[in-house]
Amino acid sequence: MINRLLILLFTGLSILGCGSEENEFPIDKPYWDLNDYDNIIRKLKYGYKDDEKIPSFDDPDTRIVVEKLTDQKNFRVILEDRELGLKHKSEVSRRFFDDWKNMSDIYNLRDRQDKYVYDEEMLAVWHFGLGLQALYFKLNNDEILESADDPNSTKITNLVESNVSTMISNYLAYLDEINDEDAFTKEGKSKLAEGIDRYFISLVEKNPNANFSNLKKKSELLIKKSESENIKSSLKNLIDLIDSKNSDIKKS
Amino acid sequence: MDLIFYLLSVNEIAVIVLIVVLYFSPVIYQLILVVKESKRGNKLPLKKLLKFLWLSITILVVIVIFGITLNHTNYLSYQSPMTFDQYEEITFDDFKGLELFKKSLFGNERFAYVVTTIETELGENHAEIRALFHPSRSFVYNSKTDSKELLKHEKYHFKITELFVRKAKSEISQLNISNKKSVSSIIDRVRQQERSYQSEYDKDTYHSYILSKQKEYEREIDSLLSLFSDFKEPRIKFNDDK
Repeated sequence: MINRLLILLFTGLSILGCGSEENEFPIDKPYWDLNDYDNIIRKLKYGYKDDEKIPSFDDPDTRIVVEKLTDQKNFRVILEDRELGLKHKSEVSRRFFDDWKNMSDIYNLRDRQDKYVYDEEMLAVWHFGLGLQALYFKLNNDEILESADDPNSTKITNLVESNVSTMISNYLAYLDEINDEDAFTKEGKSKLAEGIDRYFISLVEKNPNANFSNLKKKSELLIKKSESENIKSSLKNLIDLIDSKNSDIKKS
Repeated sequence: MDLIFYLLSVNEIAVIVLIVVLYFSPVIYQLILVVKESKRGNKLPLKKLLKFLWLSITILVVIVIFGITLNHTNYLSYQSPMTFDQYEEITFDDFKGLELFKKSLFGNERFAYVVTTIETELGENHAEIRALFHPSRSFVYNSKTDSKELLKHEKYHFKITELFVRKAKSEISQLNISNKKSVSSIIDRVRQQERSYQSEYDKDTYHSYILSKQKEYEREIDSLLSLFSDFKEPRIKFNDDK
C-alpha cells in the first residue's frame, strides 16, 4: 500500500516537473537582457527534438516567444540610452551581435521540397540582426572616433569607412535570400520585401557617402531574377534612392 | 517598493508538495493502519491518527506563521524604522529583511526591495506625518554588494515616499478649515497616489535597468522635493480647529 502511494506521488511530481518547460521563457519580462538571450537561444537550439515544433508565429501559445525574441526594443533600450557610456554600449552591442549570429540558424530549417519551415520567423530574426547591425557598427565607429587622437586622420577615416563597408556586405547577405525566393511562402516574400523597404532604405539614408555600388549592382541583377512583384518594387525603390544619393554627391 | 511576485514555478510546487507529504507521512501511515484495523473492528488506531494529525498540523501552523512573520519583518535582526533626515546614512547594511519565498525578480537573482511607509499621528490641532524606511522589512540579495546604481534606485523609493508626505502637508496647509476627517482623507488619497507613483517608477525604469529613465525620475523627484522644501518638518499645524 505504502509502495503504491509513493509510486503515485513520484509519478505525479514527475508529471508536474515536465510541465514546467513553458515557464523557461521569461515572457513577463518587458525586456530580455543578454543573459535571457543566452538561455533562450540555448533552449531553442538544443531543447527541442528534431521533429518537435519550436515557437512560431502561427502557434498562439508560443507566438509571444518569437515576438519577444525578435523584439528590437530589447537592444534599443540599452544601445539608444543617452545616459549610458559609449564603451559600455559598444560592448553590449557586440554581445548582442554574437547572440544574433547564434540565433540565425534556429529557424532556417527546410522541408523535403527545400521550402523554409519557419520562413517568417527566420526573416524576423534577420530583421532583428539588420536593425542591430546599424547600431552596432555606429557605436563601434563612434568609439573609434572618440578614442582617436586625430579623428580626421586618413587612418581613422579608412577604418570607419571599412566598418561601414563590412556592414553593407553583411546586409548583402540578406538579399541572397532572394536567390532562394521559391523557398518562401507568399507572406514570407512580402516580409522579405518589407525588410528591404525598412532596413536598406535606412542604411542608405544614414550612410549617404558610403559606396553602394555592390548593393546597386546586386539589386539590379536580382530585379531581373525575382518573380515577386513586392520584392521587385522594393529593389527598384532602393536603386532609385542610391541613384539619387549619388547624384546629390556629384552635385555637391 | 519593488513588486514582488510570489508565483512559484511548477518545480517549486512539486518540492513543496513532496515536503508536505513527507512531513505528513506518519499521519498517512496511521491512516493506513486505521483502514486496516477498522475492518477488524479495532477503533484504537483512529484515536492515534487524530492525535498525530492534530500534533502535525499544530507544528506546521507554528512553523508557517514563524516563517511568514520573519519574511515580513526580520525580528532576528531587528532595526527600528529610519526617518528621512537619516537618508544619507542608508546603505545596503541597513537592508536586513529576509526573503524566504522569492529567489529572483524577473529572473534576476541580484535584486533588492525597500519598504517605506507614510506614518501619521493626528492631534487636536496638528498632524505629524513622516516617511519611514523599514530596514528589517527591506531586502537585498547580498548586503556586501557594491552596486551603487541598485542602492540609488532603492533609496529613491524612500525619496518618493517623502515627496508624497510633503505633498500631503502642502495640501493640509491649504485647507481653510481643518479637521481630522478632512486631513485623514487627504492622507489616504496621497498614500494611494504614492503607491501608484512607486509602481510607475519601477515600471518605467524597469528597476533601474533603463538608466535614462532612472535619471529622468531622479531629476523630477529631486526638483519636486525642493519645491516642497517648506514642508520638511513632520509637524503641520491645522489652520482652524472645528
